Amino acid sequence: MNFSETEDIELMHPGHVGCPGCGAVIAMRLALKAMGEKIVLVIPACCWAVVSGPHPQFALKVPLLHTAFETSGAAASGLRAALDMKGDTETTVVVWAGDGGTFDIGFQSLSGAVERNEDFIYVCYDNEAYMNTGVQRSSSTPYGGQTTTTPELQWKKTRKKNIVESLSGHRISYAATASIAFPEDLIQKFKKAMNLKGCTRFLHVFASCPTGWRIPSELSVKIARLAVQTNIFPLYEVEDGINYTINYTGNKTVKEYLKLQGRFKQLSEKDTYEIQKMVDEDFLFLSQKVKLRR
Amino acid sequence: MLLQKQFFGHESVMMLSKELLYISRSNISTEINKTGSWRFLTPIYQLKSSPCTEKCPLSQDISRIEMLVSKGKFKEAIDLILLENPFPSVCGHVCFHTCETACNRKSFDEPVGIHSIERFLGNIAIAEDYKLNIPIISFNGKNIAILGAGPSGLGAAYFMRILGYNCDVFEIKKEPGGLLRWGIPAYRLPDLVLRKEILRIESLGVKIHCNSKETVDSLKKSGKYDAIFIGCGYGKPVKMGIDGEDLAIDGLEFLYKIRNGENTDIGGHVAVIGGGNSAIDVSRSLIRIGATPIIFYRRRIEDMPAFKEEVEAANVEGVEIRELTKPIRIEKDSEGLVITLNNNNTFKAQHVIKAIGNEAENHWKLLLDSKENFSKFSRTVLVNNHLPIVLGGDLVNPVKSVADAIASGKQAAMVLDSFFNHREVTNSMDIYTGGDRKNRSKHITSIEEINLDYFEFSPRRDSEIEEAKRCFNCGICNDCDNCRIFCPEISVNFKDNKRSINLDYCKGCGICITECPRNAMGLREEA
Repeated sequence: MNFSETEDIELMHPGHVGCPGCGAVIAMRLALKAMGEKIVLVIPACCWAVVSGPHPQFALKVPLLHTAFETSGAAASGLRAALDMKGDTETTVVVWAGDGGTFDIGFQSLSGAVERNEDFIYVCYDNEAYMNTGVQRSSSTPYGGQTTTTPELQWKKTRKKNIVESLSGHRISYAATASIAFPEDLIQKFKKAMNLKGCTRFLHVFASCPTGWRIPSELSVKIARLAVQTNIFPLYEVEDGINYTINYTGNKTVKEYLKLQGRFKQLSEKDTYEIQKMVDEDFLFLSQKVKLRR
Repeated sequence: MLLQKQFFGHESVMMLSKELLYISRSNISTEINKTGSWRFLTPIYQLKSSPCTEKCPLSQDISRIEMLVSKGKFKEAIDLILLENPFPSVCGHVCFHTCETACNRKSFDEPVGIHSIERFLGNIAIAEDYKLNIPIISFNGKNIAILGAGPSGLGAAYFMRILGYNCDVFEIKKEPGGLLRWGIPAYRLPDLVLRKEILRIESLGVKIHCNSKETVDSLKKSGKYDAIFIGCGYGKPVKMGIDGEDLAIDGLEFLYKIRNGENTDIGGHVAVIGGGNSAIDVSRSLIRIGATPIIFYRRRIEDMPAFKEEVEAANVEGVEIRELTKPIRIEKDSEGLVITLNNNNTFKAQHVIKAIGNEAENHWKLLLDSKENFSKFSRTVLVNNHLPIVLGGDLVNPVKSVADAIASGKQAAMVLDSFFNHREVTNSMDIYTGGDRKNRSKHITSIEEINLDYFEFSPRRDSEIEEAKRCFNCGICNDCDNCRIFCPEISVNFKDNKRSINLDYCKGCGICITECPRNAMGLREEA
C-alpha cells in the first residue's frame, strides 16, 4: 500500500519514549493518519499515557485529555457533551485505552457509555497485559500466556475475554478488529468509524509488545500479522451487533505464532494442540455468525 | 498567573478557556529527546543483487526492469535493457532464459516469465520505433574494425560505439546477423525483429559493410584502425569420421538455404544426426517443408545439449528421436541412402543431414594458439602484437548461446576500452561506466530473505504488467513504502522521491528491515 494524500500527514512527534518496536505506537500513528486532526483523545492510564510524553513534553499534535483508569467511557461522554454545548459538532472524541483500561478496569464505564449509545469512538489497543506497570496479566491475556503474575508453570489457564462479542451483546452500532500488520484495513476501519457519527463505535486494535511478549523488536509487525494469519486474532466487523463480516481468513497453525514468543515458550505440544482447538472453535463460531447476516 | 506558577512551579499551567482551570497542559514536543541514542543497530538502505541478474550473461538489471514494467513505465524499462543489451526482442525470442531457472519465485509458485516480458518490451521498442535514450560518449577519435556481423560482432560494435569509438563492421555474407540471420529458423526469430534491432545499432553511427573480403591482414595493412575485434564464429563443420560422410548434408548449410529462400529439394524420410540445438532446428525446419525427420543421437535424450523447451517442441511437432544410436556407415543404393547404425541395424532415408556441431576455421585456431602477448578473459581473448586484437563470440566463449555471444561482444568492448583507459572489466555496462548499480551490494538475495507475507500464490499471467507484478524485485526498492508505514519512531523521511532514516530518533527496532519485502535494507552495527 501507499499513503494517500490525506493520509500522508504526521500527527505524531518523534522522540517519544515508547519501547523500540512498540506496536501501540504504530497503531496510533496509522489511526491518526486515518482520523486527521479534528479529534480530541481521551487516554486513561495505560502505556500510551506514558508514551504521549512526560509533562510538559507532548508526542502528539492533537489535543489529549488524561483520565483515571476506570473513567474513560464516562470522561469521553462528558467531553462530547461539553463540545456539543460549545456547538462544536465537527470534532470527534476518541478514547484510546489499553486492554487493562478496557477489558478490566474501564469496562463498567465503557459498558454504560455503549448502552447510552454515546457519540464517540472507543479504541482499545490490545497488548494483552498491563505492560507499562510491569507485565501483569489482564483479562485480555491469552490462554497459555506468561506474565509476571502468571509466571512459568503458573501460566494463564483461562481464555482471553472476547471484548468485541461483549460489546456486540450491547448491540453496538459498529465494532471491528484491526491489526497493525494490516495498515490498509486498519486505516479503512478508522475512516469508516469516523464517518459513522452519532453512535458509539468500538475498534479493537491488536498491538504487539516486544517487551512484554519477549519477542525481538524487529518481529513486532510480523507476529501481529501471524496472529491474523493463524486466526488467533481474526479481522472482522460487526454492525449493529448482528451483521458480521470476516475480512481475512488465515490458514497457518497457531504453533507458528506461539513458537516465536518468549511468553509461550513453556507450552507443551499438548497445550499447543489445545490452543489450536480453541482457535478453530472460535473461528468456526465466528464464521457461523456471518451466515446470520440480515 | 503568579499564584499558579508558585503552586505548580511551571509555566505550563495555562488557561484553557476564559475560566481559570487548574489543569496542567504540555507545551513542548518530545522532539527534544534524541532517542537515537538508544540504538545499537542502525538500519540502512542497501540495494542488493538478484539471482536472475547474476545468471544473465548480459547482466541485465532484471528485477528493476520488472518493477518498471509493473508500474507501466515501459520506456524506462526499455532504456534499462538497452543499456546492457542491444537485442531485447531477439533475446526475448531465442534466449534460453537462464534467468528464469534462477528466479527466487520458482520455489514459491512459478518463476516470473522474464523472457516474455523482455520480448514484449523489445517488440514495443520496434513497433514504436523507439529512439535510444542512454548515455553515449561522443567520438574519441579511435577507430575499431569488427570482423563478423553476428551477435558478438554487432554487440561489440554497439558497446564500443557507446564508449565513444568509431566502428566498422565487416561481414562476408550479403546481410548482417550471422547465426541469427542464417542459422536460426524464422519460426523462432522473425526477420523483421532482427532487421529492426540491427537498424537501431546502425542508427548510432556503426557502419556495416556486407559482402566484404577484408581479412585481419588487410585490415592491419590499411593502418586505419586502432584495434580489431574478431567474432567470426564457427564456420567449419565437425567431421564424424565415418565412411560415406560426404553423402550427408551439413546442417548449417541446410538452414542457410532455407533462410536464403532457396529450394532445398529435400523430402521423405530424413535422418538428422546430432543432439544439439541445430539438430532440433534442422528437424523442426524439415517438418515445415513437409519432410519426416528422425533424429539419431548417440547418448540418451536427457543428455542432449539442446535446450529442453526446444526438444519438447520438436516432440510435439512429431519429430522422432532415436537415442543411443550412432551411424557408422552411410551408403548409396537405388532408392536413396542406407545408414548402418552402431547396433548393426540399418535405416533407409532419402537424405542425411549432420548437425553435430561446428568448429573454428584453422586460421583462427592458429591465432588462438599463438600464446604470445595473450590475455584471457571469461568470454574474450586479447592478443596484442603491435595492434590489439580481441577474439570473441563462439571462438572463445565457454557457452555457445546468443546471449553469451552478445555478452562476449560487450566484454570485448570493455577489454579494448580498458586497454586504452584502464578501467575494471565487469559484466554490466552500467557498472563499467560508473552508474547507479555500482553502489549495489554484491550479495545475491535468496528466497529466505524475501518476506513472503507480501506475496500471494499466483501462477503465470498472460498480461505482461500483471506478470511483472509477480516479480519479487529481489534486492531493489520498488517504493512499496513499508519502511515508512511501519516505523514507530516517525524516523523515515521521504523527500524528493528518496527515503532516508532520521538517526536522531531511530531506536533501531529493525521493523523496517523485517518488513522490507525484498531485502533492499540492511543492518549496520553501531560503532
